[in-house]
Amino acid sequence: MSVFSQSFSPCGRFLAAGNNYGEIAIFSLSAALSPDATDLSQKPILTFTAHEGPVFALLSTDTHLLSAGNGEISAWSWVELTKRSTKAVWTRRPNYKSSLEIPEINAMIINPKDNSLIVGGGDNNIHIMDMETGTFKSVLQGHTDYIHCLALKEREGEILSGGEDGAVRIWDSRTRQAVHCIEVFKYEECARPQFGKWISCLATDSDWMRKLLVFLSWGGPDESQFHHNIFAVGEGPHVSHCLLGGSVKAQIPCTSPSLNTLALNLSSTEHRVMTAAGSSDKIDVFTNFSYRAFSLSF
Amino acid sequence: MSSDTLKKRKAKVIRSDGGTPETKRGRGEGDQSEEVEEKLRQGCVHFITLKKLNRLAHMRLKKGRDQTHEAKQKVDVLHLQLQNLLYEVMHLQKEIGKCLEFKSQHEEIELVSVDDFLRDAPAEISRPHLTKDDPHQLTLARLDWELEQRKRLAEQYKSSLCSKEKILKGIELKKEYLGSLQPGLHAIMQASLPVQEYLSMPFERVQKQAEVARHLPPPLYVLFVQANAYGQACDKNLSVSISGDVDEAKALSRPPEDSQDDESDSDAEEEQQNTKRRRATVGVQLDDKRKEMLKRHPLSLCIDLKCKDGSVLHLFFYYLMNLNILTVKTKVSASADLSGAVSAGELLNSESLLNCLYASDHGQETPNPANRYQFDKVGIITFADYVSQLGHPYNWVQCLGGLQFSSDRPQAEGACSSLSASHMEATMKLLRGRLQSRLALHKQFGSLEHSIVPVSSECQHLFPAKVVSRLARWTMMSHQDFLELHFVQHVAKAGLVKETDLFFMAIVERGTARLQAAVVLNPRYPEITPLFSLSLLWKGERSGRSDDNLRAMESEVNVFRSELQGPRPGLQLLTNQIQRLCVCLDVYLETESQVCDGSEGPREFPREKMCLRTARGPNRLKPFKYNHPQGFFSHR
Repeated sequence: MSVFSQSFSPCGRFLAAGNNYGEIAIFSLSAALSPDATDLSQKPILTFTAHEGPVFALLSTDTHLLSAGNGEISAWSWVELTKRSTKAVWTRRPNYKSSLEIPEINAMIINPKDNSLIVGGGDNNIHIMDMETGTFKSVLQGHTDYIHCLALKEREGEILSGGEDGAVRIWDSRTRQAVHCIEVFKYEECARPQFGKWISCLATDSDWMRKLLVFLSWGGPDESQFHHNIFAVGEGPHVSHCLLGGSVKAQIPCTSPSLNTLALNLSSTEHRVMTAAGSSDKIDVFTNFSYRAFSLSF
Repeated sequence: MSSDTLKKRKAKVIRSDGGTPETKRGRGEGDQSEEVEEKLRQGCVHFITLKKLNRLAHMRLKKGRDQTHEAKQKVDVLHLQLQNLLYEVMHLQKEIGKCLEFKSQHEEIELVSVDDFLRDAPAEISRPHLTKDDPHQLTLARLDWELEQRKRLAEQYKSSLCSKEKILKGIELKKEYLGSLQPGLHAIMQASLPVQEYLSMPFERVQKQAEVARHLPPPLYVLFVQANAYGQACDKNLSVSISGDVDEAKALSRPPEDSQDDESDSDAEEEQQNTKRRRATVGVQLDDKRKEMLKRHPLSLCIDLKCKDGSVLHLFFYYLMNLNILTVKTKVSASADLSGAVSAGELLNSESLLNCLYASDHGQETPNPANRYQFDKVGIITFADYVSQLGHPYNWVQCLGGLQFSSDRPQAEGACSSLSASHMEATMKLLRGRLQSRLALHKQFGSLEHSIVPVSSECQHLFPAKVVSRLARWTMMSHQDFLELHFVQHVAKAGLVKETDLFFMAIVERGTARLQAAVVLNPRYPEITPLFSLSLLWKGERSGRSDDNLRAMESEVNVFRSELQGPRPGLQLLTNQIQRLCVCLDVYLETESQVCDGSEGPREFPREKMCLRTARGPNRLKPFKYNHPQGFFSHR
């Protein structure tokens, strides 16, 4: 089993994780973090099959959990999920041209300004869906290989996408046009030929002073930013603490041999944890960023 | 009186004589001479009278005496007569007495009662007019009647004796005749054997078996009956036979059974005594006791299962009397030559052939909990030491013999045939399946060792036409060797590896890349999929733990049993898995070259496989799924 995506609930007490079998598991963080936690509290309170293909992306809105499977997006109500009801509120499919293979959806972000959902995946395009009506408003085309990750610069209203082709494209959310295209591998100081040119993840800092942060995947698919520290996870079984300059400050060992997803619970004050998961069924929980506290098991 | 007179006379004489002499003297001699003469004459006269008197007296006496004597004689005669008469009287009385006491034999004869007699006897004998009054006649008549009846009965007796003799003679004759039939019948039976074989109705053999089966111990008997019944009803390729010493079995069933406890108590005492004296023989005694405890019943059952291709699985069932369990030994006679494969040595090993026929039925320990106590008495630590000699006490064997022991389910012990019947079909199917799968594996291994992966025509559609990676080596490993491999620790940790499993190493090569696959083969193959763990040596070492793509390959090979098992009964599973592994390695190596850009020179592995996309998802998995008949690779 590989865990590909995680998302915390809006109240911050639950964690949703998606794996490669298309299942989503809901964990109760409050139970797992409580002083009288047992082994049972490290198991999910609910596991259900959400999609046919792997769940590569999970996203939480204020009320709903959005999950992306093989070419479809489903929404689940958090309230219902905590009551163990597994009926999807809605399921929508972006319009795909080819029917030979259904593309996966690798990344989803929400643009709060115009309440739209931006998804990118295997068909090399970015689809934008209006959350209220549920229709797919537009398609952003330009990548030559599938899209790994999406990021949003809220202030400027720009969408950033990084893909397998090694290019980072910046799109204007209003005009739906590509503004920039940065091919990172063409820059010598950023090139890492032995690992490949693909861009696995992007993150932005909303501070306009800051630069765009781009990470090549030295086998690493995810990272998070917190307090000017960069936490990155990738192929090795550790979470790396890095500085903006690129130097690695520390590496904290984890249970999975390689990690796919990293998440920070920012919406809750008492359950402020970082979770990391990857190619195993264990989700490591870090209460203190220096060491792993315990593992939830899918 | 006369004497008195005589005496008086004499007295007179005397006085007179007395007187005379005196007077004679007195008178003087003159007168004296005439007186003397007178006196002399008187005296002579007196003397003469005296004599006469004497004579008279004597004569009177004599006469008296004679008279007396006569009278006496008469009296005597009379007395004698009297005596005679008395004697006669006595004699007669005795005779009378005897006569009166005389019990005539006729009184001992039980005569019919008078009424019956009067009723039954014919008139000339009974003569009622005579016998009515005269008891003597009556008795005579009765006796006559009795005599006649007896004569009649004697006649009858004689005649019936005769007839009996005749009949006996007749019986003798018939017996001889029947005796002469026996060899004839036997000859006919012998002659009919080929006919029976031809018609496949082996009556005689069946009868003989039934005869021997009477001496089987109950569990073996149950097994025999159920196996026969199953063979006749469902499965023509199953045959049952009994082997062993019938006489010993008969001997066993007869003598009184000494209870085990008595023996062991006395043995215990003996032991205690003997340890003081002769230590050396305690071991021998213990050995003997062990042998006694582990003794097998002289009769054993042999069930042969024939498969379609002609190979036969021989199962020999034994019954351990004191332990009350059944054990089985196996033998395989394969139709094809089995000497090819080195790695297949363990497959048809009779020790492990029937391991885990049902899950976790290892057959190393005795299933009867009571045996534990028995073993403690004779110092047997574990039954596993004797398994190779005595056979395996699998649970399904006990079930087939109707023996059920309380382990998890509390049920009564005893040989019940319903338990045997319910298990028979399932077990026979499993046995056959096991034999076939092992034989198939044997054949496949032979091929694998020559680096050829045998893919049957029905399974060709699972793989592309051209597969470049080839199986370089296929060897068997031991359990220890397996556990030492670093890339299988996750399997061991998950508890998927047991000592009873078979372990193999497959090495697939293409160019400079070398893929090691450690295979765990459960004895219940193909019910349980073999488990592959991969490690790739190509520009560094990667294993399923470190590389997501290798992990995907492992899952591709291990998980999709329904695709890979091929046509029923799924004997192609292993070879299909290996072939898929080769295909996946091809895809891996050909798509891997894309990582490095072309400036390094020609790729080692040119892209030959058709893939829609070479990477998908955040972890950029390669397309391992082969689509038929389009022939391209896609992601799952």
